[in-house]
Amino acid sequence: MSSWFSKVFDKKKQEEAASTAAPADVAVKEPEAEPAMPKVRTVLSAPMLADEETPAVPEGGIAIKARIEDAKDTVTFLFDRQLLDGYSCWCPNRAAAEATSPLALAVFDAGGAATVLVYASTLAVTRDGTGRESLEEYARRLGGVLRQALQDGVAAATDDFLAGMPSEDEIRAQLQEVIDSEINPGIASHSGVITLNRVHGNTAYITMGGGCQGCAASSITLRQGIESSFRAVAPKLGALLDETDHQAGENPYFTDLPAGMGA
Amino acid sequence: MPRLESFDMKIKTGERGPNKAPSYEINGFKLDFDEMAGGNGPGETLELSGEPQSFPHSLVLIGPEDGAWDIAEVQLTYQVMGGPPYTVRLGAVTLDGESNLNIWYDRPPKVIDV
Repeated sequence: MSSWFSKVFDKKKQEEAASTAAPADVAVKEPEAEPAMPKVRTVLSAPMLADEETPAVPEGGIAIKARIEDAKDTVTFLFDRQLLDGYSCWCPNRAAAEATSPLALAVFDAGGAATVLVYASTLAVTRDGTGRESLEEYARRLGGVLRQALQDGVAAATDDFLAGMPSEDEIRAQLQEVIDSEINPGIASHSGVITLNRVHGNTAYITMGGGCQGCAASSITLRQGIESSFRAVAPKLGALLDETDHQAGENPYFTDLPAGMGA
Repeated sequence: MPRLESFDMKIKTGERGPNKAPSYEINGFKLDFDEMAGGNGPGETLELSGEPQSFPHSLVLIGPEDGAWDIAEVQLTYQVMGGPPYTVRLGAVTLDGESNLNIWYDRPPKVIDV
């Protein structure tokens, strides 16, 4: 069994050997004036299909799935109903949850959560690293907590949080200002550019273009750079969603993360 | 990024198919598939396998030089070093002489009922 490396270069060697072994009476061709440039092709991404399965509906009638991402120490719970219609709620700590989301507060009180994001029919929890249980065990325990909270009628957001929500135009203006004055000038050295596509409720949708598209460090730029700048100027911002097709990036700044940069 | 030992592909062709063996590219190097069965004419199913034994920064199926290839569905099964095999399924896409199809996907996150 040979690797792709030997397959490629052995093939090249065979082609070179064949060319040097040509008979002497073969007419010598004129060198071509210009070698043809290789055709640049677009790399397409097909939609990923989900497995068809019937969701298990437990006693109590609330079906909850948990998507477990060990690399990010994150569990995303997917509910069979809307938790928060039209808005999203970001809780970076327990105090924020106390002021904005009783459902997120139930997660913090169960222990182990660093951040909670409630968005549409999902609730994402990133752990604080203090727990000893596996992420799957944590997800199962929290699933029970969330089901009980929903059965008890615990709200995903407080009335005060929703009542004090700025308009979409206000949030859009705040974010655009920080993109123009801080973010895009900062990432221009990597040929990157951030575009704010739209704001729906208090959820922002962006595209990462240029050197950011397909860049291995784009998630770090999003999390540590863009998101923290956005939240500093728009504290009521909920989910921040990246709509970039990173697989189609043609000139990413990093194709692999540099040494010392975590995934 | 895990080391990709080998991968199997099953491609179901839709209305238009090149009826010609495809190739793939890993990290910009073009390779032939190690095994092929079936066909990629209209309505046919083609089964392919490749053994790159490398770290795939990019892995693409090369579109046909002439004409279009309507792919109805793709099933990819990866054998990676240090982990069990995993499968992803992709939906419809059309390839031609100016396009390739991304066929490298990390292991999907585990989803459980809780």
